Amino acid sequence: MLSIQHISKHFGTVHALNDVSFDVPDGQILGLIGQNGAGKSTTFHSILNFITYDGTITWQGHPLSANDFDTIGYLPEERSLMPKLTIEQQVVYLARLKGQSAKETRAHIDEWLQRFAVKGTRKSRIKDLSKGNQQKVQLICTLIHHPKLLILDEPFSGLDPVNADLLKQAVLTARDEGAAIIFSSHDMEHVTALCDQLVMLRKGDVVLHGTLTEVRNQFGKTELYVTTDWTPDRLKTLPGVAAVTVRQPRQYLLQLNDPAAGPAIFAALTEGHYIEEFSQQPPTLDEIFRLKVGEDHA
Amino acid sequence: MILGPFLMIGLTIGISYVSANSTSSSREVAVISDSQPLRQAFIKQNDGLNTKITTVKAAKQALKKDHLAGYLVLTTDNQQFKADYHGSDSMGSSLRAQTQNFLVTYQQAANYQQANLTTKQRKTLARTPTLTQHIAKKTGTANTAKKISFWLLVTMIYIILITYSSIAAQEIASEKGTKIMEIIFSSTTATSYFIGKITGILLVILTQIVVYLLGGWAGYQFAINNAKLKPLFTEYHSLINAVIHNLLNMNLVYLLLGVVIYTVLSAYSGAIVAKAEDASKAAQPVVMLSMLGFFLTFPFQSNLDAPFVKIMSYVPFFSSYFMPMRIINGTANGLEQGLSLAILLAAIGLFAWYIGSQYQRLMLQTDSKSIWQQWIHDWRHQD
Repeated sequence: MLSIQHISKHFGTVHALNDVSFDVPDGQILGLIGQNGAGKSTTFHSILNFITYDGTITWQGHPLSANDFDTIGYLPEERSLMPKLTIEQQVVYLARLKGQSAKETRAHIDEWLQRFAVKGTRKSRIKDLSKGNQQKVQLICTLIHHPKLLILDEPFSGLDPVNADLLKQAVLTARDEGAAIIFSSHDMEHVTALCDQLVMLRKGDVVLHGTLTEVRNQFGKTELYVTTDWTPDRLKTLPGVAAVTVRQPRQYLLQLNDPAAGPAIFAALTEGHYIEEFSQQPPTLDEIFRLKVGEDHA
Repeated sequence: MILGPFLMIGLTIGISYVSANSTSSSREVAVISDSQPLRQAFIKQNDGLNTKITTVKAAKQALKKDHLAGYLVLTTDNQQFKADYHGSDSMGSSLRAQTQNFLVTYQQAANYQQANLTTKQRKTLARTPTLTQHIAKKTGTANTAKKISFWLLVTMIYIILITYSSIAAQEIASEKGTKIMEIIFSSTTATSYFIGKITGILLVILTQIVVYLLGGWAGYQFAINNAKLKPLFTEYHSLINAVIHNLLNMNLVYLLLGVVIYTVLSAYSGAIVAKAEDASKAAQPVVMLSMLGFFLTFPFQSNLDAPFVKIMSYVPFFSSYFMPMRIINGTANGLEQGLSLAILLAAIGLFAWYIGSQYQRLMLQTDSKSIWQQWIHDWRHQD
């Protein structure tokens, strides 16, 4: 388990992290969200000891040291490989730094290239690959030694939906193999799809922390999705409805002042008859993200 | 790059050969005389003369076509020997001296004959003063060997340092702030990476030195088996051996360690540049320091007992130039050499350790803390 306890970091007068605490158990995925400059990369740099910080970070109960390097897989925010090398040379070099023999790495390169659908062979030079394929090679370098702690800084940035799905599958496989995974993303859809828990940072402070359900439920079931023949004006007259948004013809999203108004609205809308859609939910992660960012700007 | 000097030497030899062949005929001098015995005597005593041209007319034509450097007309007028030189340029100093000697000898013989002198009188008049130089051959050779060895060694150190300082600094500066360094430092310690990097650069340098040594050995083998060069090598056998000995003793260790400490400094220079784009400027301080060491030795070559030389032969960065100078001239004993070497090794170790400990911070540029702040932080968090 990766445990981060009360870490703080200042860059001069800038508050990068302030008393940040969370755990990432083995076999779980934690999503780190926040605006640019919220402290996500600083958190990763602290875990990897790239910077000094106040507080405690432990991995499997001890401070992370050089002895743990072989169990870490790290993907930095900006991609960077050695352009003159071939795919094989690059992957073998970085895997050897992680303690995996060249022989073992070579035996699995083709399998990984296939898994990520890389356009190129093991003898292709990095500089000759497209940006997307270079990114996939970098992901292979991060995963090929089967790390137990996976740190991914914006892994989905620049990937098209098909390639993003390939990465999602690889991350889920690593989780199933027991890896503790922490990744940052601006795309709440990926976070929702992958994470067992999430942490939202805002200017170095933790503003949200918990499982996806816990976080969403903190905001109450204030969203009601309905499909009905009622008009928007008529829907607004229902008790506890603050606003009505048309999603599609006959499909509406009702914003509720009070989640407890759900049963009364259900009764009024159905009058004891069948209704195509009636779903009362908490806000989506995307909405919560905007809400939290908005609080800061308010 | 490694083969550069060999290409330069080959090119120089090739150009010299072609140039020598193409100019040989136009540098000849023809000898013309009405007296065939006189002409033959002159030709016999001097090399490199044109023997085919025998008339003034032919010589004039050859000179006009630039096939001759000039022609010499030998005449006797009323028992007086005369030589007239006609050429496009003035007479070469060597030929002029030889001609003068030839004329003096023949004029003297003619004078003696005309004066009807007795043998005793002739001997008396032929007496000349003598000047003899008495040089101990061993000492002379040793001094020349020292000078050659010194220049070869410092030039080798200087060229290798200048070349590899830039390469080391640029190599490291170009990685500065790149994300690949984050991946590497999440896989191995910065100290290991730094030492690995320095070792890699040193192995390249070592390869170059080995190639030069092998090239030198091959050149030597070629020269001693070459008919034209063999006499030269036989004549200077002791000198060449002395130079080789001076290069392949403790001085080679100083050359290698000098390269090590300057490479470590270059790496540090590369790591402290503000951004990767400044890589080309990174090596400048190292190059300046190396130049300072190189040029500082010049005024002290004949003043090896100066306190400055003794002090500098113990100071890392400068000892690589000054101690070999003392070793070559035999003014440093074993203890002094050992002490200087120990200081140099300790300096290399400390320097590499210090830079290794700072390397991650310098390369990643992720922390704003100064070295002092970091030390205080580490000390406070020791427990």
